[in-house]
Amino acid sequence: MNELTASRPAIWLMIRPIAGPLLGLLLVLALFWFLEPDAFLSARNLRTVSVQTVIVGLGAIGMTFVIASGGIDLSIGSVIALSSVVAAAVAKAGYDPMLCAMAGVVTGATCGLINGLVIARLGVIPFIATLGMMGVARGVAKWLASEQKIDAPAGWLESIMSKAEEFRILGLPQAVWLTVLLAVVFGLVLRHTVLGAHTLAIGSNEDTARLCGVRVGRTKVWIYVLCGIFGGLAGVMTFGRLTVGDPTTAIGEELDVIAAVVIGGASLAGGEGRIAGSILGALLMAFLANGCNLTGVPNYVQEILIGVIIVAAVAVDRYRYHSMKM
Amino acid sequence: MAEVNGDTSLRLAMRGVRKAFGPVQALGGVDLEVCPGEVHALIGENGAGKSTLMKVLSGAHQADDGSMSLDGAIYSPSDPLDARSHGVAMIYQELTLAPHLSVLENIWLGREQCGLLGKMNRKAMRPAVEAALDRLEHPDIRPEKLVSELSTGARQLVEVARALVGEAKVLVMDEPTSSLSRKDTERLFAVVDRLRADGVSVIYISHFLEEVEEIADRFTVLRDGETAGSGVIGEVKLDRIIEMMVGRSLDEVFPQVPHERGEVVLRAQGVRGPHLLREASFELHAGEIFGVAGLVGAGRTELLRVLQGLAPVQGGTFDFVGKAGGAKSATGLLSEDRKEEGLALNLSLGENLTLGHLTPLLQGPWLSHVRRRAVTRQWVEELTVRCASPDQSIGDLSGGNQQKIAFARLLHAGVPVLLLDEPTRGVDVGSKVEIYRLMGKLAAQSKALFVVSSYLPELLGVCDRIAVMHRGVLGPARPVAECTEHGLLEEATRGVGENAAAPVSHTAFQRFQKEYHA
Amino acid sequence: MNLHPLTLFFFLFSATVLPGCGSGEDGGNSGARSEKYEIAVIPKGTSHEFWKSVHSGARKAECELPISITWMGPSKEDDRIAQIEVVDNFISKGVDGIVISPLDDTALVPVLKEAKAEGIPVVIVDSGVNWDEYASFVATDNRQGGVVAAQHLGKLLDGKGKVIMMRYFEGSASTSKREVGFLETIAEDFPEIEVVSGNQFGGATSDECYQTAENLLINHQDIDGIFCACEPTTFGMLRALQDSDLAGKVRFVGFDATDKLLDGLRAGEIDGLVLQDPFGMGELAVKRMVDHLDGKPVDKFVDTGVNVATQENVDTDEMRALWSVDFDKWLK
Repeated sequence: MNELTASRPAIWLMIRPIAGPLLGLLLVLALFWFLEPDAFLSARNLRTVSVQTVIVGLGAIGMTFVIASGGIDLSIGSVIALSSVVAAAVAKAGYDPMLCAMAGVVTGATCGLINGLVIARLGVIPFIATLGMMGVARGVAKWLASEQKIDAPAGWLESIMSKAEEFRILGLPQAVWLTVLLAVVFGLVLRHTVLGAHTLAIGSNEDTARLCGVRVGRTKVWIYVLCGIFGGLAGVMTFGRLTVGDPTTAIGEELDVIAAVVIGGASLAGGEGRIAGSILGALLMAFLANGCNLTGVPNYVQEILIGVIIVAAVAVDRYRYHSMKM
Repeated sequence: MAEVNGDTSLRLAMRGVRKAFGPVQALGGVDLEVCPGEVHALIGENGAGKSTLMKVLSGAHQADDGSMSLDGAIYSPSDPLDARSHGVAMIYQELTLAPHLSVLENIWLGREQCGLLGKMNRKAMRPAVEAALDRLEHPDIRPEKLVSELSTGARQLVEVARALVGEAKVLVMDEPTSSLSRKDTERLFAVVDRLRADGVSVIYISHFLEEVEEIADRFTVLRDGETAGSGVIGEVKLDRIIEMMVGRSLDEVFPQVPHERGEVVLRAQGVRGPHLLREASFELHAGEIFGVAGLVGAGRTELLRVLQGLAPVQGGTFDFVGKAGGAKSATGLLSEDRKEEGLALNLSLGENLTLGHLTPLLQGPWLSHVRRRAVTRQWVEELTVRCASPDQSIGDLSGGNQQKIAFARLLHAGVPVLLLDEPTRGVDVGSKVEIYRLMGKLAAQSKALFVVSSYLPELLGVCDRIAVMHRGVLGPARPVAECTEHGLLEEATRGVGENAAAPVSHTAFQRFQKEYHA
Repeated sequence: MNLHPLTLFFFLFSATVLPGCGSGEDGGNSGARSEKYEIAVIPKGTSHEFWKSVHSGARKAECELPISITWMGPSKEDDRIAQIEVVDNFISKGVDGIVISPLDDTALVPVLKEAKAEGIPVVIVDSGVNWDEYASFVATDNRQGGVVAAQHLGKLLDGKGKVIMMRYFEGSASTSKREVGFLETIAEDFPEIEVVSGNQFGGATSDECYQTAENLLINHQDIDGIFCACEPTTFGMLRALQDSDLAGKVRFVGFDATDKLLDGLRAGEIDGLVLQDPFGMGELAVKRMVDHLDGKPVDKFVDTGVNVATQENVDTDEMRALWSVDFDKWLK
């Protein structure tokens, strides 16, 4: 951030790590622009897609940290559902939307804390620990909601997800700006703070990190708490969007979030990951879904395409990795 | 040249063998002659080309140039199986047995004799196995036993038996004793003696010169992919062999930087740790280089890890005193395993260098990459690291330059006590010399260096005092002037005083298992 | 022209979803309006046969009128957010009308309001919504479906015995109404019938329902009657009954028709299927939308009716029209 010299190589250096997802996104944009020239790139549609990216995008910010540290969080879909249910329950009890949001975020953070402690202190591998949390959080959500959705007034939580003109800032819904802001801040955190440096070091080589005096366990707990917080926030946004707390929401969402991060250039082996890339990955998937809807392409094509894109992204990642090793 | 067992014809002759991997010339014209019934030591540092040469011999690589003959006939194996059928067998450094299979299954692995529908015909395979084990005078190893139930020494014998099944004329042993206890080593040497008497030619790769003196008849030294010399063991002095290996005189290899011993910085009293470490008591001074010799698996690495706080102390005490006592972190550990632990290979130079000590890079809550680059450049210059930029991935660097960055990390952290575990492992001679000089300079700057090494000439060349670790017990430290390579090895293998009578432990085996499962 | 292979791929798929109308029937009176209405039809999901029937009905309307319909379910079956996004996307595209079967009676409201605000009329089909500014609501009276089922099952059991009802998934509005209608009718008209389980949710898919049904049957070996309020639960229950050798021994009333369920009915394993008219629903919904767009008055609520198919009447023409939709004709 200090060396923002405007020379071309500097800009290239900034873009290079996210060149893959950026290129992919541009391809998708070009394709649908070609197929649906009027509607696809209209302000209205861009706004629509931006809101649709909020939930996966928020999740992807937290997940980028986890994946960069060499871990995985399978529970984020369930955490989103649980947080949305908690937020709705608090709203139903008549509390201020701010309090609902806090409750949702704290719920997410708690799930993350449990994940982190189980992983760092009990030594359970992340896949298993968060697979457990995936079931627990989903079950608790259904239990809290008495296996029904909770109808509650979302107040301004609804309006920040709304595309209506009166709630927009500079043409985009408030939640989109919040996501952008958090993406920028946590992009900087990952690249330019001790927590970020330690996250990448743990992902790259946990033993080295330990050798250098990094408190590996404690850092991991923070990473999963962070991911939980973002899951909670995504849950609050889900509540705002649905206006109901739905314990069955976001089933399988963890895979979308992981896919966004992986398309964004993170390596599941750890040590690599960029928030900007992950957000691009989330945007790419949202634009793909949107474009398929607009052109009337059936859902299965979309699923096939996303599957292909994920594998292609990882294959490119492997290729880069191998060429680096040579 | 000396003739062995009166046989004038050569068993194996390799002449002018060249092999390049892309731009890297691994072998630049190597000559090797081996007689029947001789044990021929192939000596050289890591990266000298020993393994490549043996891979050419065993057919795993094809030579670019040069010729090979076996018993006078032209020999050019197309693959390892072809080499086997010509009677050239390899025993690799790492044990290559499948622990879940039986001795018999391992010995015949890949060449099983099968009946109908691929059913293994164990009965048919068994006599050859028994014959091989008899020949090694170890009929006690039963063919049906699972390899996982065998000791490391017995496993090594199974490896040899595997090589013997199917008439080996030339047997290559690549550092066969690196994971063996002394007793197992002696058993192995007895086997080698017997093979020699049977007329088998053994190419024995090692960089333990003492071992070579004990077992080999002749030797060939490789350096930088070329034959640096050869001769008859006993006729050439050890010092001369070392000079052949490193390509310069010993004075040049171990540059002496004057330094002065200062106050005590670390006092350890009966430190006991996990696994192997039973007792270590010593005093480490500022401005001194303290060497720890010992066999692999004697507990030396464990001692370093305990001192660094990576492993729990299970008894005894150690205190940092003087200026080290006040430091926030008193020690920095240079890991013996650079690739697995020492460095994060896909992070950049700068990230690796500063990871242990990020505080100087902070501007408020933010890490400054500008400062990181500046710091990195400074150390790169100081240690003459050859690299393109501070942002370069460290995996791209050579071993020597990687090790310098690992060193720089400790220097950047500014710790008063440096724990160095095999500081020159996998490093070229040029970098070695630079690292030795650096160690001297650090001592001159009043750092305390605690050095573990399996390479005795190195300890003798750079240390001020040396102690030997034997079966988890650290012996008394002695000034280097009072130490000899032979004496240190003796102490490392037999122990001194009461330790000499200690029962055989399975430490080496445990260590092997730990490494195997890691 | 140099086309990217992916583009070709897309054209290929576009071609499969937007075919011309069936043989003989032309796109219709093209002279009447210069531009075709573009109508989005959004089901809850795309993989159940029920929705294929609705789709067929909508296609029939498309063939008879100068319109084009786009059939697009949520990218994830039964996912509310995904359905909201589909609606969003169609608003973005600026279609002329949206026909939707909302996955949730509340969650979809904001986005439907938005459609309305953008001047896109909405016709609700099948499942209700807590919002009344739609142009028309075309549906089975779901509560009535439950009532009819209760009366049929009550008669079969001579007004006494133990029954269980396996529910669909949490928050499914249309099935909830059937379930409530069933439970209320049993309680009022058949006081001697005891509902021993009426609160277990089967789950969103046939597979989950199957598992839940198995578990229910283990706990309730001695029941006399069963009611399931939709296709996945009925199918799951049927499979579970067949597995545990209870098929045909327990009086079983289900909902909707598929080949498997009809076979069960003919074999006496199912004693009654409450049939809606999904084909008619799809056709009527799209036609009401066109009427509304043409400025004609339309009824706020259109009931497409329920009927009980039994072993005896299932193959009559009257019933056949409800369950035998020629998918090949309409969807190819």
